[in-house]
Parts: sequence; C-alpha cells; structure tokens
Amino acid sequence: MEEKELSDEEIVEKVRTSNQELYVIIVDRYQKKLIRYVNNLIKDENKAIDVVQESFIKAFINLNNFNIEKKFSSWIYRIVHNQAINLAKKYQKETPLLENWDFKSDDNIEEDFEEKEIKEKVEECLKNVPLIYGEPLSLYYIDEKSYEEISDILRIPMGTVATRINRAKKLMKKICQKN
Amino acid sequence: MSEELKDIKENIMSQINNGKIKMKPKIYFILGSISTFIGLISSIVISIFLFGLVRFSLRTHGPMGQYKFDQMLSYFPWWTVVLAIFSLILGIWLIHKYDFSYKIKPWIIILIFILAIATVGIFIDIIGFNDILFRYGPMKGIMGNGYLRGPL
Repeated sequence: MEEKELSDEEIVEKVRTSNQELYVIIVDRYQKKLIRYVNNLIKDENKAIDVVQESFIKAFINLNNFNIEKKFSSWIYRIVHNQAINLAKKYQKETPLLENWDFKSDDNIEEDFEEKEIKEKVEECLKNVPLIYGEPLSLYYIDEKSYEEISDILRIPMGTVATRINRAKKLMKKICQKN
Repeated sequence: MSEELKDIKENIMSQINNGKIKMKPKIYFILGSISTFIGLISSIVISIFLFGLVRFSLRTHGPMGQYKFDQMLSYFPWWTVVLAIFSLILGIWLIHKYDFSYKIKPWIIILIFILAIATVGIFIDIIGFNDILFRYGPMKGIMGNGYLRGPL
C-alpha cells in the first residue's frame, strides 16, 4: 500500500486534510513501541495499554496542533509521557518519582558496562530504577531516541538528559549487580 | 498481546468513524496561541509599568525626602505591587508554554525575564514616560491626587 511508505508527518497531513482512515497506520506504527515504553515506566501492561489508547485518542483530537515541521514521534511520545506520568503520580508510592534521588559512586561505569550490555540489562533492571532516571534511559537504549528527541519528549534541556542517563547507568550498575 | 493491540486499533478507529472523537479545528489552536501571546505581552507590559511605578514612588531624593517618602507610603497603591508580582508569575508561566523554554534552564528564564522587566522599567522611569502616564495618561490618578500635585 502506497500510504505505508509515507513518513509519519505526511500521513498526519493526509489525516488532517483528507483521509482520517489513515490514522490506523500511525496507530500500527507506534502502538507496540509505546506500550513497551509505558510498561517500562508503570510496570503494568493492562494500564500501559489503557494509557496508550487514551494517548492515541488525545493525539487525534489535537492533531491540528501538531507542527508538521517537527517529528511526529517526539510529539506522540510526549503525549504518552504526560498520560503515563499522570497515572504514575496516582501510584507514587509504588513508583518513586523523587527528583533528587542520588547516590555516590566513584566507579567509571564506562569501563565496566559496554553499551550493548547496558541495552540488554536496561529492560530487566528498569523496574528498580526511579522513574526520573528510568524514563530517559528507556528512551535512549530501548527506543533508541537521540538526546535531542529525549529533550523534546521530556521537555528538559539536553544537558539534563545527559546527566540523568549517566546517573541512571551508575544507578543501574549499583542496583542490578545486587540482584 | 496481539489481540489487545488489535482491540486498541479497532476501538480507536471505530470511535473516529462513529464521530465519537473529533479533531479540534485549527482555529481553536490559533486562538489559543493568540491568547497566550496577548497574555504574555500584557503581563510583560503590566510588570514593566508597575515596576516603573514602584521605582518612581521610591525616589525620595532632594529636599524633604523623608516627607515625600511618608507621603508616598500613605498614597501608594499597594495593590499594584501584588498585581506586578502576579503579572510577573503569569508571564513566566506563559513563557513555559513556548517550545524553546525547556531547552533553557528554568532559573535562567526567570532571571532574564525579571532582569529585562527591571531594566525596561528603570529606563521608562528615567526617560519620564511613567510620569507622563501617571499625570495625563490612562494611569492618571493611580497614585492619588495628593502625591502628584507637584512640589509644595
């Protein structure tokens, strides 16, 4: 099908102007990734599915607010992030959201953890990492987003993205080596 | 899982096809952007003029400085300080609605915003524009007639 070869932004433009049915391609392209992303954050697959469904609906309603010059993937991830955070706040006791959660480590984790190893371990260790660090880590290693995209999704400066990912790596090393 | 994914897709598409969910029109977002922009500009202008007013009122140089200061205290419209602070907070909050805002650290935005308003407020006070507005312009009477009656 010809439409399937179009970019996200081109499909969005068609959905907005002529054919709403094409929204199904967007849902198809993103639903798995988004459910996995939300599941990594809230650790509940059923809730993750609900969050993603609500996010797709919200995205459709606000589709005319999307700037076609920008990346659709960052925009939809941003919506999902907001929905997931709202849900996570409800279950804050189960999912720590502490901003200043910190630790001391003098180890050079780059020597100990190669990127490939981290990628494999991220998913299994993620449930023990506080959301504030787990989210950028998940976006970087599992969803393979760039620092700039993560900055756009989480709405934090790129320097903060780098800091959080670096801390998350150290934290993961600390937590996952215990397990 | 694949069954649930199918459900999501069907559920969303059926809601779209049944007209249960509808896209908000472009004009809705355009009006939202215009309102945000107007709100931001208004809060900046109000903050600047009220900052200028506070500075203008606190000038107690020259002869009878203490008397002028006491007089200012009795005539000063304190609600303007509250309004200035409120406008400042509103302005900062509105700036956060813009895409560029998160690329800069929040405290830098707040600092730049306050410094810019203070600088323009002082400049307007120095060139005497505030004075003209308070005596003849739309802000006439804001300080009460006694304070702006001129030198005794």
